[in-house]
Amino acid sequence: MNDRVGSCYEWMSRDEIASLQAELLQRTVAQAAKSPWYSAKFKEKGVEPGDITSRDDITTLPLTSKEELRESYPRQMLTVDPSEVIRMHTSSGTTGRPIAVFHTKEDVDNWAELMARCLGMAGATASDVFQNMSGYGLFTGGLGLHYGAERLGMWVIPAGAGNTARHIMLIRDFHTTVIHATPSYAMHVAERMLQEGDDPKSLGLKIAALGAEPYTEEMRKKLQDLYGFKVFNSYGLTEMNGPGVAFECTEQNGMHVWEDSYIVEILNPDTLEPVGEGEVGELVMTTLRRTAMPIIRYRTRDLTRLITEDCPCGRKHARLARMVGRSDDMLIVRGVNVFPKQIEEVIMRHDWVGGNYVIHLSTRESLDQMTVRVEMAKEAFDGTIATVKIQRAELQKQLKEAAGFTVMVDVLEPGSLPVSEGKAKRVIDERG
Amino acid sequence: MYNEIRVFVENKPGKLSHIAELLGEAGIDILALDLADEGQFGVVKILTAEPDRAKSILSEANMTVAFNKVAMVEIDDRPGSLLKFSKALESSNLNVTDAYGCIIERGKRAVFVVKGDNLADIETAARNAGLKALDSLE
Repeated sequence: MNDRVGSCYEWMSRDEIASLQAELLQRTVAQAAKSPWYSAKFKEKGVEPGDITSRDDITTLPLTSKEELRESYPRQMLTVDPSEVIRMHTSSGTTGRPIAVFHTKEDVDNWAELMARCLGMAGATASDVFQNMSGYGLFTGGLGLHYGAERLGMWVIPAGAGNTARHIMLIRDFHTTVIHATPSYAMHVAERMLQEGDDPKSLGLKIAALGAEPYTEEMRKKLQDLYGFKVFNSYGLTEMNGPGVAFECTEQNGMHVWEDSYIVEILNPDTLEPVGEGEVGELVMTTLRRTAMPIIRYRTRDLTRLITEDCPCGRKHARLARMVGRSDDMLIVRGVNVFPKQIEEVIMRHDWVGGNYVIHLSTRESLDQMTVRVEMAKEAFDGTIATVKIQRAELQKQLKEAAGFTVMVDVLEPGSLPVSEGKAKRVIDERG
Repeated sequence: MYNEIRVFVENKPGKLSHIAELLGEAGIDILALDLADEGQFGVVKILTAEPDRAKSILSEANMTVAFNKVAMVEIDDRPGSLLKFSKALESSNLNVTDAYGCIIERGKRAVFVVKGDNLADIETAARNAGLKALDSLE
């Protein structure tokens, strides 16, 4: 697998993508079979690399879960002689074993090409100065962006995470035009500047690649207004290299996922069957070019949908819509898939309720019943029961629109819901 | 005009006791209390001579409290005295959306508390009829 992932791949037609995927999938399966882990898995499932003749044969291959990647730690999924590996990264798992991913020289090269393609697609060129405000080390957001920016020929400042004052100084002194950061850090820098009576626009930044944490369209608009730059969404995960998997073009409407390097499937997380066109499901990805550690049909647990309409930019690589949540979180209520995040988004639009809430599921007359419990915000109470009723009715109406069925709303006194330390337990399922 | 206290409460046992306990411990006399219920939640109205102190006590106990402006008119505690006030409202063509009364001194003084679209007009109408619109209660 020594193909360079040059720009000819960026503008492939759908037909070209399909035939390339078939060819690369075959090779990927053969390569994966060289690892102790996949060789055992293929044997168990009766998979023969030679059986793969088309892209659609991918559905005959077994899925790979996050747990399985953890089990394969430290190097059960390595397919090459260790001397060929030049780099590894690990996922940012907070508990237990991490997921380790290995790269040969070609793997790092291809990754850099994909990353460079992403940055170029957003409008960056060799004359730009790129400041990487992301942490380096095992986290892929450091070296991943770094190599891509260098590949594009930009002047790269590997500033790393933290130290806001130094970031601002470097941006001013070296005329940085392109940054990579998390959205919350970009917001933090802007707020800090505003506090000090400084205008973020005066930095002269043009492009911001923001990712690694979810953020809303409102947040993007706010950042764009504050800085006067354009924000591009980035999607990546260590298992699929890291950044460089999918990125927005200048249309800023969905992230093109590089189908010459990945096969993308959207599956119903329950049945594991493909969802209908344009429907939301779990993103499942297969590496097509990685040599040291190919991963087949990886369940990312990220929920999204594919935008299949032609993009005005002319690229034919499919686009991923914004992630809507994690498949682990999905609830099935009256046969409808609902994600707590959808509910949360509606609640957050109402400032008369506090930030704490619970989604309670029960059974009433053999039907699933969803009750959303919110707390009245202390300052919002105007003393009349009518106002509370109107506010509740509006919330209820919007929840029904979001969920597709009637949702009950309980308005509680402030402080009556349990405050959890760390990750809040938002869903209580008492269905019998 | 006077501040009536409104407390947002979940409809479950013990809520009223909690309010009664807090105000009782603080030595605040409840002159009138009413509970409007909506099923899952309700609003408690409280009339007391010390609205500011009552509000801060309830608020410190993390209850959801608001003031509600009302017109409070003093009337004699004897048969027929309400009529004087209600006639005054009627002749000024004023509507009342919420009302209750309570005795301050048996056989002597009572107050009639009303909520309407225009509290200032209600107070003027009361004064014109020779009644006192109160801003405080001793």
